[in-house]
Amino acid sequence: MNALEIKKLKRSFSGFCLDNIDLTLPSGCIMGLIGENGAGKSTTIKLILDILHKDGGTVTILGRDNGKDISLIKEDIGVVMDDIGIPECLNAKQVGKIMKHTFRNWDGEEYARLLKKLSLPDDKPFKDFSRGMKMKLGIAVAMSHGAKLLLLDEPTSGLDPVVRDEVVDMFYEFTRDEDHSILISSHIVSDLEKLCDYIAFLHKGKLLICEEKDALLSEYGIIHCTVEQLSEMKDIKYKKETPYGAEVIISRKDAPDGFKLSPISIEELFVFMVKEAN
Amino acid sequence: MKGLLLKDLYMMRKYCRFTFIVAIFFIGISFLNTSNLLFIFYPCMLCGMVPVTLISYDEHSKWLQYSQTMPYTKAQIVSGKYLIGLFMQIAVILLVGIAQVIRMNIYGSFVLSEFLVLMMLLLILSSVSSSICLPFMFRFGVEKGRIAYYFMIGMVCAGSVLSSSLLSSKLQATIRPNGILPIICLVGIGIYALSWYMSIVLYKKREI
Repeated sequence: MNALEIKKLKRSFSGFCLDNIDLTLPSGCIMGLIGENGAGKSTTIKLILDILHKDGGTVTILGRDNGKDISLIKEDIGVVMDDIGIPECLNAKQVGKIMKHTFRNWDGEEYARLLKKLSLPDDKPFKDFSRGMKMKLGIAVAMSHGAKLLLLDEPTSGLDPVVRDEVVDMFYEFTRDEDHSILISSHIVSDLEKLCDYIAFLHKGKLLICEEKDALLSEYGIIHCTVEQLSEMKDIKYKKETPYGAEVIISRKDAPDGFKLSPISIEELFVFMVKEAN
Repeated sequence: MKGLLLKDLYMMRKYCRFTFIVAIFFIGISFLNTSNLLFIFYPCMLCGMVPVTLISYDEHSKWLQYSQTMPYTKAQIVSGKYLIGLFMQIAVILLVGIAQVIRMNIYGSFVLSEFLVLMMLLLILSSVSSSICLPFMFRFGVEKGRIAYYFMIGMVCAGSVLSSSLLSSKLQATIRPNGILPIICLVGIGIYALSWYMSIVLYKKREI
């Protein structure tokens, strides 16, 4: 079963349109939703959760249509929004009590374990938390009610590298269960590159690509050459010219002889695709 | 739903302390000054507006958005606030009622009919004040909904002046608890119920 299936998802605002998004996230996998600020990542997550009303298309979460009984479906979804959303006067202990009366499958022991693991004090008000601590508390809540799908909107932004690594490990651990899946959005591509099985690029409301990460990395390579050499090349996927030469992304099977084909990173691929799309 | 109410109780404990102190202060003043009913109406209005304060803090902390990622319906989110409002109104009316019974007995001026008229006026005013504000807050957010809040404050002030003159004039004879006031009281409750329903409908349309 797929954890998430999005078909022809559409939503228009004045000056922005999320246009015919098609995504499929198989169970047990992690998908990274990559896009610059304003690309439509948060909008997509809000549409999945039915916080925003869609203009068209369908969203199926864990085999159920999100238009029907979305509040029941949310029992199985853990969400971390960019702004977290926990009231500032509450401490972690109070948050735990509230969530105990919110989620049927709330696991108080797991929550306490995560608070300890993430070094979060349970008596300090949320307003006195650093950005990183706030995000960690949001993650602890999302992972303490037996969710099968995590929807994470920029969960690693504002975290220092050590905590980011810790959090990324927690996400890995979560997907060890093959029923567990994650859709994670970020513009910090390096995090997603480490973590994800699938990569989706969003740009100005359009889905540029949605593929398995390893397939993407093995399909393309990058060639550094001069501008003159560039003009002789064929089947170029994406290119970038600088005063010092040119960089070309090309399918490995189309790579010309005599050039060194270097491995490409997801970040490079994303930057090239976005620049080309502009 | 219990989670929503518990969260609001924690927030009330933190953010509404001053409201409760002011309400008790005004109830105390009402012992001394009986000519102006503002001292009796004001605490009821203040406590009736506690849900508005809570929505304001919810919006600031982005809780309204976060709560929609949880297994709550929009109707439950709205209903939580109306239940808190109802609880606060009943509590403050009871407090004011007890205070007035004591005051009237101390001064030997206890008249059951006058007391009941007063209680009904309190019920109407406290419920109508939040009934006007909440649908605007749920539809347009706190910033735009504040216009309704200012309108309501003006209405309560005018209401208290009007009620003072009504209770002290010969018209008092025509306002009996068994007369038109129970009907107005029922209308007040009806307005609160209608406001509750309207807030649910309007909040369902709102995108956060």
